[in-house]
Amino acid sequence: MILASSNKEPPLSDPPPASADPILVAMGSEARTLRLLHTGVRMARELGRPWIAVHVAVPDWETANEEEQARVWLQEAHNLGAETAWVRASSVSEGLIEAGSRHKVALVVMGKRPPQGPWGRLEQARTLEAIRHSLGARVVTIPLDPVPPGTRGTPSFKELLGIIPAIAVLLGLCAVFAAALDHAVGFPGVPPVFALGIGFIAHRWGRAFSLPSSVGVLVLYHWLFASAPFPYHTEEWTAILALAATLVLVQMVVLLVDRLHWETRALRRQEAETLLIMLLGRALARCATAREVAQVLVERLQGLFRVQAWVLAPGPGDTWVQLPEAPKAPSSPRPSEFLPQFSAIDRRELFEPLFANGCSYVALAGQGGGEGLLQLRVGPGQPLDLESWGLFQSLAVQGGLALERVRWLEQAHQARLDAESERLRNTLLGAVSHDLRTPLAAIQGAATSLLLPDPLPEASRQDMLAMIRDESERLARLLGDLLDLTRLQSGAVQARKEWQMLEEVVGSALQRQEARQGPLPIQVDLPESLPLVPMDGALMEQVFINLLANAHSHAPHSPVILRAWEEPGAVQVEIADRGPGIPAEFHQRVFDKFFRMPHDLKDGGAGLGLAICGAIVDIHGGNIWVEDNPGGGARFRISLPLDGDQLAPFQPEPLPLTLEDAP
Amino acid sequence: MTQTLILIIEDEASLRRFLVPTLANQDYQVLTAATGTDGLAMAHGHNPDIILLDLGLPDLEGAKVLQSLRLWNHKPIIIISARNQEQDKVQALDLGADDYLTKPFGAEELLARIRVAQRHGTQTAAETPVLQCGALRLDLERREVTVDGAPVRLTPLEFRLLEALAQRAGKVATHAQLLNEVWGPEATGQTHYLRIYMGTLRRKLEPDATRPRYLLTEPSVGYRLNAD
Repeated sequence: MILASSNKEPPLSDPPPASADPILVAMGSEARTLRLLHTGVRMARELGRPWIAVHVAVPDWETANEEEQARVWLQEAHNLGAETAWVRASSVSEGLIEAGSRHKVALVVMGKRPPQGPWGRLEQARTLEAIRHSLGARVVTIPLDPVPPGTRGTPSFKELLGIIPAIAVLLGLCAVFAAALDHAVGFPGVPPVFALGIGFIAHRWGRAFSLPSSVGVLVLYHWLFASAPFPYHTEEWTAILALAATLVLVQMVVLLVDRLHWETRALRRQEAETLLIMLLGRALARCATAREVAQVLVERLQGLFRVQAWVLAPGPGDTWVQLPEAPKAPSSPRPSEFLPQFSAIDRRELFEPLFANGCSYVALAGQGGGEGLLQLRVGPGQPLDLESWGLFQSLAVQGGLALERVRWLEQAHQARLDAESERLRNTLLGAVSHDLRTPLAAIQGAATSLLLPDPLPEASRQDMLAMIRDESERLARLLGDLLDLTRLQSGAVQARKEWQMLEEVVGSALQRQEARQGPLPIQVDLPESLPLVPMDGALMEQVFINLLANAHSHAPHSPVILRAWEEPGAVQVEIADRGPGIPAEFHQRVFDKFFRMPHDLKDGGAGLGLAICGAIVDIHGGNIWVEDNPGGGARFRISLPLDGDQLAPFQPEPLPLTLEDAP
Repeated sequence: MTQTLILIIEDEASLRRFLVPTLANQDYQVLTAATGTDGLAMAHGHNPDIILLDLGLPDLEGAKVLQSLRLWNHKPIIIISARNQEQDKVQALDLGADDYLTKPFGAEELLARIRVAQRHGTQTAAETPVLQCGALRLDLERREVTVDGAPVRLTPLEFRLLEALAQRAGKVATHAQLLNEVWGPEATGQTHYLRIYMGTLRRKLEPDATRPRYLLTEPSVGYRLNAD
């Protein structure tokens, strides 16, 4: 059990007696003992003294569970660097005196609870004085049970002026009513009336007023109902004793109800705190960035404690990054000076605030260490009580963990990005080196074979020379494509836009493609009303050649339809084939460089043609995409802007563009 | 003597176009397959004497083809790889391939590798205990090593290492294979053992240890005893 004291002790920061004698902390078994523990650690560190945690076990006082809990607290104290002692004694003061004198303590830290019973206050003072006297040590008491919200405080003088007449009037009314009942049914009607009155007073104004009122009732009764001054008749004695007994009973009931109320309020407060911590945890779990975490944390703290709060994270060049940004936020000591003070004491265990520039600072720490600081400016005249600090610290722990989680999240994300870009680079490198090396290997092989001393048959010789020619062409084409794409994507090529006839550009592309591959089954459908289109003729010709070649290689004998039409602000071109088509999952990726359809066993291109188309259309400010051709095959679509400005990025739905969508 | 049958498993048509006439002109009989599946089927059907296997096949991983082949076939397999990645080569060699060629390669190099593979293919039955490479003479039966007729003293470990290389004379031996044979399976990661012992072997056998003629390094893959 924790001893209680009503003594007014000097504040903790007063200079202690100058010696290296240890500090004795009297530990109880209840949850509030944690506060004593923290005070003990703090004082021991501030004063540079050893400290002893003592539990006094008084026979038949504590249950087995409570003893168990007390041992847990002692273990915790041991972890925090205390020497521990378990003392058996017939009373707490005896036990403390015994332990204290053994260790020559200079300072005793004890918990203080509200006094119990009418003589509790006196008992506490006596115990305290005994300890002080026997040990010659200073005794510091720490309030353990804070007053829950809603508990009545002492009324002011002004309030008293209202309350006392009200009580007097009430008692007067009771007396009149009791006198009437006494006349009608005799004495048994009197005590219930006064009991009701006293009960009402206790309920309305508190226990402090019900006790004097009870005395008042007895005086009133004596004055109104007794036939003569002392000594009474026997029956009058009986009556006044019965009334007194009733009033004592009322007092006891009032006391019990009061305590019940008090405990209910304390429970509600605990429940509210748990709920707050849970709600904050839930809100923090949704945050994806440190900024969001800071925002949520600060909003909650400001709402709960009516304080101003900021989250400080160490920034570049020995400065703090203050979240959320506030122009009028008070400045803080620089990280290089300030952080060591936090790491000097193990702040993760204790969460004791540091003070600087009129602000309080609490470390926000996750599992891995400090994540930053929480800066707190308390309004004047609104200091945080100990209870609020407790809750505040719990919330700060949540904030620290959330910040740490977010940091890990960002690190994991970055690592994933790095790995992805590394993988992409390797894939590109692999594709380029494979595509360059294969024709080169064939050329080198053929050349060395031709140079072997055993001459090859003439037919083989011719074939090898033809192969060398073909492969050199392939290599040259690949290198050209690669250079084109690199120039296009690096922005080195600008589209030299001129107003062109689409017919002319398409015609030129067709001519070149047919010169290479012979007559192609291509049907061109361009309306005569088609306007001139601003484009780079040479580049767009390359786009059509690539698209036609693509259709030819994947759907060699299928008819291809090339159509175009005008839409508000843009011209749409469509090249549709009846080949095997492209699965929907590859509709985006076909425009990636070196992308080839999986299991494409044909000795096709290097996967650069469509990438080049994409890059060219892109520098025209247009869009290119592929969709399924209704009825089978693939349908490539190009949208070129007519005004020369960037078109809005392509949205697959709704098509075609309506008038409202036009720029 | 019947013609040696070579199976080429290679997906690039241009390479086949150069390999087939070159090998045919050297009196080899040549079969080609463009995919791993076809290659496996032809290996079963024709039981070729030597297989040239490309690692970058479109349908099956080269390593898979190799594993399937090695389940029953013990004829020499030479890996052809356009990839410069040493890991793939080492993996293939450890899986049982006999040698490798990195694209691009010349016709002479190819023919030399095929000759070495051919020799080993016929040697497996009657092993020659004596190996003569230039001035270096190695008698595995009598455990004698001479350079220019002068005997060289080798420690037992050095001799075992030289023996392991000699059993694959002309072909590459991977780090893992050498470590496994000389030091045992626990030592497969300890390539520094190899480097140290190769260093002492070279100092004892090579006229100039910095320009080795017999004990050649295959960077990141292993070592090769030059048999020519």
